[in-house]
Amino acid sequence: MLNQAERERYARQIRLFGEDGQEKLKKSSVFVAGAGGLGSVVSIYMAAAGFGRIRIVDCDSVELSNLNRQVLHGSDDVGRRKARSAEEMLQGINPEIDVDAIVGTIDEDSLDRLLQGCDLIMDAMDNFPTRYLLNRAALQRKIPLFHGAICGFQGQATTIIPGKSACLRCIFPRAPPAATFPALGSTCGVIGSVQVTEAVKYVLGSGELLTDRLMLWDGLNSCMDEVACVRDSSCRDCCNKYNVETNNMWNNVETE
Amino acid sequence: MKIKVMAFASFREILGKELNLDIVGEATAAGVLAILASRNKRFKEAAFEESGWLRDYVQIMINRKRIDPRQDLSTKLNDGDELVIFPPVAGG
Ligand SMILES: [Zn+2]
Repeated sequence: MLNQAERERYARQIRLFGEDGQEKLKKSSVFVAGAGGLGSVVSIYMAAAGFGRIRIVDCDSVELSNLNRQVLHGSDDVGRRKARSAEEMLQGINPEIDVDAIVGTIDEDSLDRLLQGCDLIMDAMDNFPTRYLLNRAALQRKIPLFHGAICGFQGQATTIIPGKSACLRCIFPRAPPAATFPALGSTCGVIGSVQVTEAVKYVLGSGELLTDRLMLWDGLNSCMDEVACVRDSSCRDCCNKYNVETNNMWNNVETE
Repeated sequence: MKIKVMAFASFREILGKELNLDIVGEATAAGVLAILASRNKRFKEAAFEESGWLRDYVQIMINRKRIDPRQDLSTKLNDGDELVIFPPVAGG
C-alpha cells in the first residue's frame, strides 16, 4: 500500500499507470551496476520513479573529470567514494525508497552475493567483460538485464529477457577492446533513460520491450535506429545444452 | 547491382551515414567491405586487423539481420540489399 506522501509524490505516474502500477514499482528491487555516467541517470530516474529498493555498486572514487556526465556526484564529492555520494543523492531525491549503496568491485566472486534479492539488473558498466558477467548472472537467475552503452555522441541499448530473447552474448559475441572513451553526459541521459523506461515497462507488464532489437542512438545526426537481433543457437552463454555439457559453472542450471 | 551500406557508431564518423554502391556482377559482404576499405584508409584501419582479417567484434547485418563474419561474409548479396556495419560502443 502507498502512504499519503507517496500518493502525492507519484500523482503524475498514478495518472499514467494507476496505484497498482506504482505499487509494482515499489515492490521491485533493482541492481544498478556502476555509479558512473549511465549509472547516474539510471539510478536517479529509478529513485525518482519509486523503485522500492535500489542497490548500486561502484568501487571508484569521484574524480573531477567524472563530473561532466556523472550527475550523481558534485564538486564537493571529489575524492569521496561514488557509492557514498550516490547514496546521499538518491536518498535525497526520494526518502521513501531503500537505497543500498555498496563500495565494491563487480566480479565473478562478488556478483552472486551482490545480486541477492534483486529482480532486475541495470547495466551501467563501462566494459564488456563485466557486462558478460552480468549477462550470465541474469540468465542463471532468470531475471532481466537492461543493457546500455555509450561512446561520445553514440549509444546503444537493448533489453534481455532470459529464455525469451537474444542475450548480450548472442548480440555481441566478442568484446571490443578496452579503451578510454569520450563521453558526453547527455548521451548517458538518452541511453540511461531508455533503460529506465524499459525497466518500468517490464515491471508494469506494459508496452513492447526492446527485446531482440538493438537500439542505436546517433546524437551527432540526431538519429535513432534499430537493428533486429536473433537468439544464437550456438551462443555459449544462453544455449543450455552447450553450457551444461561444457561449463561447470552451469551445472546447477536446470535443463528444460 | 545496388547495395546500400549504413554505418553506425564510430564507423559513421568515417564512412558517413549511408553509402550507395553500384557493383558490377556478383556481390558478397566480403566484397563490399573490400570496396569500402580500398576507398577509405581510415575505415580499413578501424575495421581490419593488420593481418587483413575483419576485427572480430565488428557487427555486420544484412537486411537488418546479424551475420557471423567468421562464416557468412561470402554470402551473396542481392540487388537492393542493405548492409549495416558498426562496432559496439562500450562506455558507460
Ligand atoms: Zn545468448
